[in-house]
Amino acid sequence: MTSQIRKIHDMLVSKEISCVELTKKYLAEIENSNKELNAYITVTPDVALAQAKAVDEKIARGEEIGLLEGIPMTLKDNISTKGIETTCASKILTGYKPIYDATVYELLQEQGVVMLGKTNMDEFAMGSSCETSYYGGAKNPHNTGYVSGGSSGGVATAVGASLAVYGLGSDTGGSIRQPASFCGIVGLKPTYGAVSRYGLIAYASSFDQIGPITQSVEDAAIVFDAIAKYDEKDSTSQGGEATLPTLENDIKGKKIGIANQYLNGVREDVKEAVLSAAKQYEDMGAEIIYFDLPELDFALPSYYILAMAEASSNLGRYDGIRYGYKAEHYNGTHDMICRTRSEGFGKEVQRRILMGTYVLSAGYYDAYYKKAVNLRGAIVEAFDRAFEKVDVILAPTAPVTAFENGYLFSDETDQIEQYLSDICTVPVNTAGLPAVSVPCGVDEKGLPIGMQLIGKKFDEKTILNLAYRYEQAVDNFKETKWGVKL
Amino acid sequence: MVTREDIENIALLSKLFVDEKDLDKLTEEMQKIVEFADTINKVEVKTGEFDNINNLSNVFRKDEVRESLPVEEILKNAPEQAEDHFLVRKRA
Amino acid sequence: MKYELVAGFETHVELQTKTKIFCSCTTAFGGDPNTHCCPVCIGLPGTLPKLNEKVVEYAIMAGLATDCEIAGIAKMDRKNYCYPDLPKAYQISQYDKPLCEHGHITLSNGRQIRILRIHIEEDAGKLIHNHGDTFVDYNRGGVPLIEIVTEPDFRSVDEAKEYVERLQQIMRYIGVSDCRMQEGSMRCDVNISVRPEGSEKLGTRTEIKNMNSITNIAKAMEYEYERQVDLIESGGAVVQETLRYDDATNTTSSMRSKEDAHDYRYFREPDLVTIAVPRERVEEIRQSLPELPAQKFKRYTEEFEIPEKDAEKLTKYRAIAEYFDEAAKDLKAPKTAANFILGQIFRRLETEADKEAFLVKTSAAQLNEMCKMLESGKLKNNLAKTALEKMLDSGDPVTKFVSESDMAGLDDNTLTEYCQNAINAMPNAVADYKGGKEKALMALLGNVMKQSRGRADAGAVKEKLKELIG
Repeated sequence: MTSQIRKIHDMLVSKEISCVELTKKYLAEIENSNKELNAYITVTPDVALAQAKAVDEKIARGEEIGLLEGIPMTLKDNISTKGIETTCASKILTGYKPIYDATVYELLQEQGVVMLGKTNMDEFAMGSSCETSYYGGAKNPHNTGYVSGGSSGGVATAVGASLAVYGLGSDTGGSIRQPASFCGIVGLKPTYGAVSRYGLIAYASSFDQIGPITQSVEDAAIVFDAIAKYDEKDSTSQGGEATLPTLENDIKGKKIGIANQYLNGVREDVKEAVLSAAKQYEDMGAEIIYFDLPELDFALPSYYILAMAEASSNLGRYDGIRYGYKAEHYNGTHDMICRTRSEGFGKEVQRRILMGTYVLSAGYYDAYYKKAVNLRGAIVEAFDRAFEKVDVILAPTAPVTAFENGYLFSDETDQIEQYLSDICTVPVNTAGLPAVSVPCGVDEKGLPIGMQLIGKKFDEKTILNLAYRYEQAVDNFKETKWGVKL
Repeated sequence: MVTREDIENIALLSKLFVDEKDLDKLTEEMQKIVEFADTINKVEVKTGEFDNINNLSNVFRKDEVRESLPVEEILKNAPEQAEDHFLVRKRA
Repeated sequence: MKYELVAGFETHVELQTKTKIFCSCTTAFGGDPNTHCCPVCIGLPGTLPKLNEKVVEYAIMAGLATDCEIAGIAKMDRKNYCYPDLPKAYQISQYDKPLCEHGHITLSNGRQIRILRIHIEEDAGKLIHNHGDTFVDYNRGGVPLIEIVTEPDFRSVDEAKEYVERLQQIMRYIGVSDCRMQEGSMRCDVNISVRPEGSEKLGTRTEIKNMNSITNIAKAMEYEYERQVDLIESGGAVVQETLRYDDATNTTSSMRSKEDAHDYRYFREPDLVTIAVPRERVEEIRQSLPELPAQKFKRYTEEFEIPEKDAEKLTKYRAIAEYFDEAAKDLKAPKTAANFILGQIFRRLETEADKEAFLVKTSAAQLNEMCKMLESGKLKNNLAKTALEKMLDSGDPVTKFVSESDMAGLDDNTLTEYCQNAINAMPNAVADYKGGKEKALMALLGNVMKQSRGRADAGAVKEKLKELIG
C-alpha cells in the first residue's frame, strides 16, 4: 500500500481536484454508507467544507501546502472538539459540545486539516467490538456481519471503507491496533507521552494514548510526526522522534523477537500468518529470536484492575451538573446524580466503574490495586530485559479475526472472554511502549489478520521502518466496496 | 467471595443505582471479574517498583495568571443554570 | 472524676499564589460567580492538571517554618468522593507521601504541638443552598491549600487558641497565606476526645468540621468537651462521628447522612508526575525564609532585655517586627525604640488590621535617627516625645523639629541667669526649700523650664538651683 496522503496531496497541488470537491466526495460517501456501516456518530460538513475552502484559497494564491493540508480525516468521538458534539458514544455526554480543542486537533488545524466528523467507538472506549456504543457498533467494511473491533471501531471502519483518508483513535488496551487489525489497515499506538492527551476524554489515564489509523504505514508515519509534539498542558507529555526520515532504511541485521507467550491461545491461522511474516523478515535479512516473556501471563488481569480503577475515578465527574445528560425525575442532588449516572452509562461502563471502585475500596486495595501496580513494574522490567536482546517484538495483534456481530454479548459468551480477546494488545499499554499493527493476511472468511511490531519507548521509527519494509514486500491491503475511489 | 452487600456498598460509592432485581446477576458477574482479577494473586514474582510510566519528575507550571473564560462559556453545557451559577433544582 | 481534654487539629490554609494549583486562573478572593474558571478547574472531560511550582515552594516554606522534615520525593494522589462542589469527583491531594512531616510548634507554656504532616491539595467550589435548590460557583475550586495536621497534643482550649494564632502568625510572616478565617483562607477541623485525668488511653473522638473563627473554635471545643464528659458520666459512650458547630445555638450536631459512604479510595494521580525536592533546593528555600516570630521573640527578650509582654506585641506582625529591627539598629538600648513603637506609634494604630499593616509616616530609619540622638545626648528626653508626634504627623525627620540650640542644650551662663531669675521671682519657694521642703525646688524648676522653653536639662537645673540658694 502506498501513501494515500501523498497521493491526494499531489492531486491537490496539481489541481487535479479541488479540496472542496474532494471533501464533498467524502461527505457524499459518508451519506451513502454510514447507515449501514455506522462509522460516524457526528458528521461535520460545515466545518469540513469551510476548512477545505480555506485550503483551496491557499492553493489558488499559489502558496505551498503541507502534506496534511486539505486531507479529509476523522477523529474518534472521545477527542474534544470545540463547539462540535463529543459524546464518547455515551448517552451521558449527549449534547456535550466542548469549549476547547484537544491539543492534537489544534495541531492538525494549524496544518490545515479537513475534519469530516466524529467517529463511533465503544462507550468511553470500554470494549473490543465497538458494540458498547450508545449508538450501536460500527460494522466491518470487509463484511458487515462482523464487528469493526474496538474501541476505535468507527475510525477503523471509516478508514478501512475509505470514508476518511486517516483518523485519530485512542489506545488504552489495544483500541487502535485491534480494530485496525480487524479492518485490515494500519494502527499505531505511540509511546505513552509521545502524543498529548490533553482533550482526550480519559478512560484510564496512565494507559491512554492517541494515535493514527491509516491505510498505509507511510501515512501512519506522516500523521505521527505531525502530532507527536511536546505539550505544556499535559504533564506526562514528552513529544516523539520523527519517523519519516528513516522509514525506508534497510532492515538487514535487525533483531526481531517473538515471545512464545504471545502465541499461546492464538488461533492457528492467525499464528501461521504472523509466523509467515516472520519468515518474510528473515528473507529480508532480519534475525528472528524466540524468547520467553512469562510476565505476559498476568499482564491481562493486572491491566484490567488498574484500568478499571482509574476509570472508576475518571468517570466520577459525570454527575449531570456541568455538562451532558441529566436525569429528568429525581428528588434532591444525591438522587439526581445517581439517576443521571445509572440512566446515562451503559451496562459495560457501569460494570467497570463498580469493579474499579471495588479494587480501590478499603480492604481490597492491597490485594488488587497495589499488587497490580507492582506487577506492572515487573512487566516493565521484563520488557526492558527483552529489549536488551531484540530491537522489536513481533506478535499477533489479536488472537482471532473480527467477531460476528453480537458474539461478545451473546448469552453463550463468557464476559471474561471479551477481556481475554485483549490479551495480545494490553502488555504494550502496561509498559507504555509503542506498537504498530499492520495487516498480514486474511482468514478463510476473508477477514483481515493483523500483526503488531512492538518497540522500545520512543522508538516509533524502528517499528514503522520495519512495518514499512514488510508492507512494501507483501501488500496485504484489500480495498472494500465502500467509500471514495480516487 | 463477592456479596450482595459488597455490590450495594460499591454502588453507593460509585453513585450508581442497582435495581434489586439486577443485584443477584450483577453479584454473579462481579464475582467472575473478581476471580479473573484474583489470578494475579496466584503469581509469585519478584515485583517491580513502579513510579510513573516514564519516571518523570518535577513538571511544573509558572505562577502566571492567564485570563479565565467568560462565564457564558463556562456555563455553556450546563443542563441547568441560574444567576451565573450551575444549578441543581430540588425537584421531587 | 476529672476529665482531660485531648484534641488535634487539621487546618486548611489557602496559599497566596497568583494562580490556582493546577491551572492559570486567578486565585483572587470574591469575583462574580464562575468568572475565575477554565476547562481545567471545572473538570471538563479531557482536561489535565499542571502543578503550580509556587505551591510546592510555599508548602516547603510552611514546612520549614514549623520545623518539618521536607520529603525528598513526594507525589500527588486522588481522593475520590462525589459532591457537587468537587468538579472531578476527586480531589487531587497527597496521601502517603506528603511534602512535609514531623514538625512542631512550641506554645508559650513550653509545650510542643507535634505536626504530623503538611500536604498540598486543591480547594473545592462553593455551594449555595436555597430552598432545596443548589447553586454552584467554582471560583474557589482549584485554589491551592496546605493541610496542616497535628498529633492529638492539645490539652486545653487555651492551647488550641494559641496554636491557631501562632499558625496564623507564622504563615503570615513567611508570606504564604493571609490566613483570614472570616474569608475562609484558613479553616480548622478539630478532633476531640476526653479521658479520665491520668489515663494514657485515648477516648473515642469526634471531629468538628470547618470552623471559621478562633472564638467559634474555643466555644465549640468547650461545648464538645462538656457534651462528651456528660455523656460518659451518664453512662453513655461517645460515637465517632463528624460534627458541625452552630454558633447561633452554640451546639454541635452530626453531619453524617446515609448518602455519604466514607471510603476515599486514594490512588496515585496518573495525570501528574513525581515531585523530587533536592536537598540544595530545601536549603535555598530555608535561606530565603525571614526570621520567624519565635526567633525574634527570643532575640528581643534575651539580647535586648525587652519584657516578654512587649516582645509578644512587637513580634505579633512581621511589619512591626521589621520596623522595630530597623529602628533599633545599633542602639545601646533597643528598648528605647520599642517603647516609642508600643507607646506613641501604637496609639495611632487603632485596629488589629492597622497594626498588621503598620502604615506609619515616620520611617524606621527616622525613628532610629531620633533614638541615636537621644543616646548621644544631642536630644533631650523631654523633647523627644513632642518631636516624635510632629514626625508622625508629617513624615519629616527629627532634625526638622529640633533646632541646633535645642540639641546643644543651654550654656552655663544662660542656665545661671534663668535660675537667678527664678530665685528672684519666687522668694516664698526659696524660703520653703530652705525650711526643708524638698518639693519647693520643683516649683523653681518649673519656672526655669518655662523660661528655657523646655530646652533645659532638669538634672542640671536642680544642681544649679541648689548651688545658687546655697
